[in-house]
Amino acid sequence: MGKDSRLILDPLADNNPITIQVLGICSALAITAELEASIVMSISVLFVLAVGNVVISLMRNIIPSKIRIIVQLIVVATLVIIVDLVLKAFAYELSKTLSVFVGLIITNCIIMGRFEAFALGNGPWRSFLDGIGNSLGYAIILIIVGFFRELLGSGTLLGYPVLGNPIPGELTGLYAYGYENNGFMLLSPMALIVVGIIIWIQRTRNKALIED
Amino acid sequence: MEKRTDKNSYTIIFAIGMVLIVGALLAYLASALKPMIQENERLEKQQNILYAMGVNENEGTSANFVSTEDAPKLFGQYIKKQLVIENGSVAEDTTAYLIDVKKEQAKAKAGKTRRLPLFVGEKDGKTFYIAPIRGKGLWDAIWGYVALDENMVVQGAYFDHKGETPGLGANIKQRFFMDDFIGEHLLNANGEFKGITVAKGNGDPKNNDKLDNEVDAIAGATITGDGVTVMIKKDLKLYLPYFNKLKNK
Amino acid sequence: MEHIELFFKSIFIDNMVFATFLGMCSYLAVSKKVSTAVGLGAAVIFVLAITVPLNWLLDQYILQPGALSWLGAEYADYDLSFLSFIMFIATIATMVQLVEIIVEKFSPSLYNSLGIFLPLIAVNCAILGGSLFMQSREIATLGLATTYGVGSGIGWFLAILAIAAIREKIRYSNVPPALRGLGITFIITGLMAIGFMSFGGMLTGGDDEGDKKDKEKTAQVETVQKNSITNEIANNTKVIE
Repeated sequence: MGKDSRLILDPLADNNPITIQVLGICSALAITAELEASIVMSISVLFVLAVGNVVISLMRNIIPSKIRIIVQLIVVATLVIIVDLVLKAFAYELSKTLSVFVGLIITNCIIMGRFEAFALGNGPWRSFLDGIGNSLGYAIILIIVGFFRELLGSGTLLGYPVLGNPIPGELTGLYAYGYENNGFMLLSPMALIVVGIIIWIQRTRNKALIED
Repeated sequence: MEKRTDKNSYTIIFAIGMVLIVGALLAYLASALKPMIQENERLEKQQNILYAMGVNENEGTSANFVSTEDAPKLFGQYIKKQLVIENGSVAEDTTAYLIDVKKEQAKAKAGKTRRLPLFVGEKDGKTFYIAPIRGKGLWDAIWGYVALDENMVVQGAYFDHKGETPGLGANIKQRFFMDDFIGEHLLNANGEFKGITVAKGNGDPKNNDKLDNEVDAIAGATITGDGVTVMIKKDLKLYLPYFNKLKNK
Repeated sequence: MEHIELFFKSIFIDNMVFATFLGMCSYLAVSKKVSTAVGLGAAVIFVLAITVPLNWLLDQYILQPGALSWLGAEYADYDLSFLSFIMFIATIATMVQLVEIIVEKFSPSLYNSLGIFLPLIAVNCAILGGSLFMQSREIATLGLATTYGVGSGIGWFLAILAIAAIREKIRYSNVPPALRGLGITFIITGLMAIGFMSFGGMLTGGDDEGDKKDKEKTAQVETVQKNSITNEIANNTKVIE
C-alpha cells in the first residue's frame, strides 16, 4: 500500500509534472489569468488523465509499438470528443464553458507524457492512481498561479472583488490607499515568471532537486 | 524473438480495426446527438438575439439570458419581422435566424452573393434592428449580435467567442465590455459609416463620449479587441444601404 | 507579397513560443545544449511544413461543412468538422512517427538525446496549434498554408535556438543554486516573451486602416470646426433677422 500511496503523493511535490517533469506547461500559461479557469482545467485534466491512463494500461499488451503514439493520441482525442459531444447535447451551458479547453486538453503533453512513461508499463489500478496523482500535482501549480495572477492582476478571486472597488470616484478597500491593479500580471509572460518563482521556492526547500 | 505486436501485419490489422471502431463510434454519436445539439444551438441564437435587444435577465454585473424554456415564446413576442437582404432586395423569412453567418461569409469570399439576415424587434414602443456579426479573435472565431436603431446607434450588443483566453480576450462577453457599446454611434457626424473602434488608451475609460466611435479596450486583449473592431466595421457596413433606405422613406 | 507578410508575421509577431506559448514543454526540456536544440528545431520545422499543408487539404476537401461537394451534389450537406481534431492529430502522429524512424536510422546520437521528447513532438502543441490556427484563421490557399507552416516552424526554431544559447552561457553566471536550470529558464523565457511583445506593434502597420486613421482624425477636426463656424453664422443671421 505504501508504494501505491507514493504514486499519488510524489507528483504533488518532489516529482511534480510542471516544476520537475516539465510537462503540461502550455496550458499552465495560457489559462491561468483567472482562478476559475485554472480549476475547470484541472478538473478536466483529472478526468481525462485518470480514464485515459486506465484505457491505455488495459490496451498496453495489444498496442503495436510502431504506431503507439497514434493510438495514444486517438484514445485521448476520442475521449475528449465524446465528452464534448455529450455535453453539447445534454448540458449546453457547461459545454460552452469547457469548449475553450478541449484543444488544450488533447495537446496537453502531461497526458501523452504519462501514457508513454507510466501507463504503457503498468497495470490499470496503478495507472489510475498515477493519473490522479499527476493531475493533482498539475492542479496545485495551476491553482497557485491562477490565484496570484487573478489577485494581483484584477484584484478579484473567482470573479469576486476582494481588494475593494477599483472604479475611480468610488474607491474602497486597498484602492482607497492608492493601490492599483498590476495589469501586467494578466499577460502570459508573467505566468512564466510566477512558475519560475514557484520552482525557486520549491528547490530552496528541497535541496535534492537542485540541478547543477 | 520478435514480439507478436511488432509484426507489420499485426500493426496494419490493429490500425484498421482501431480506425473502424473509433470512426463508427464517433459517427454514431455525432449523428445520434445531432438533433439535440442543433436544438440547443437554435435556442441559443434566439437567446442571443433577444439579449442584444435588451430582453434578458441581467442582474448586477452578470449577463444572463432568458431561460431556454421561455426563449421561443419571447422570440415570437418581441421579434416582429425577420428579413433577409440579398442583392439589395429585402424579403421576409421566418427562418432567417438560422442562417449560418460563417457559410455566408465563405460564399461572399467565393464571389457569390451573401444573404444578410436582419431581425426587427419591438420593445416598449421602440424598434430595434438586430444584425449578426462574425470575425476572428486571437485563437478562434468570435461573433455577436448588435441591436441598432434607425440612425445606426447601438442599442445593445452581445459578443461571444469560441476559445479566447479566459480572463483576457474571453472578457468580450462580460457586461462591462458589451454595455460600453450601448449608445455608441456607427456613423460619424457627417453621416458616414465609421464603425466602432475598440481603442487602447483613448482617454475615455468610462465611455462618456458616445460620439467618438470608440470604446475602451480590455487590458491584455489587444488582438481580440481588434477582431471586434474589424467584425463590426466589415459586417455592419453591409447593412448601410438598408438603413439609408429606411431614413429616406 | 501576401506570402512574405504571412511568413514574417508567423515568425515574429505570432511566434509560437513567445506569443502563443505553444510547444513549451519540449522547448524547456530540450534546450540545454545548442546542438540538440537545433536537431529538435529542425524536426519541428519539417513536421510543421508537412502537416499544415496536409491538414489544409484534409480541411478543404473532407472536413469543412460542404467540403465533400466534389464527390457530388448529394454530399454537399455533410459536415464532418467534429472529426477535425482527430484527423489532424492522426496526420501529425503519423508524420512524427515517420520522423522518429528516420532520425533513429540516420542519427542515433540525436535520437538518444531527444529521448521521450521525440514522440512528444506529436503533442508538441505547436504542431497541432499550427494546424488549428490554419483552420480557424481560414488561410486561403495551399501555398499560403505551406508558408505559414514553414514560418511558424522557423519561429519555434529561433526561439529554442536563442534559449539554448543563453542557457549555455548562463552556466558561467552566478545564479542562485535553487534557480539553476529550469527556474532561471522560465524567468528568462518570460522576459524574452515580453521583448517579443514589442513585435505586436508591427501588426497594425500593414493594415490600410492604420495609415488612414490619422488623416481621418484631422479631417474630422476640420469638419467639426467648419460646422461650428456655420452654426455661428446661422445663429448670427437669426439674431439679425
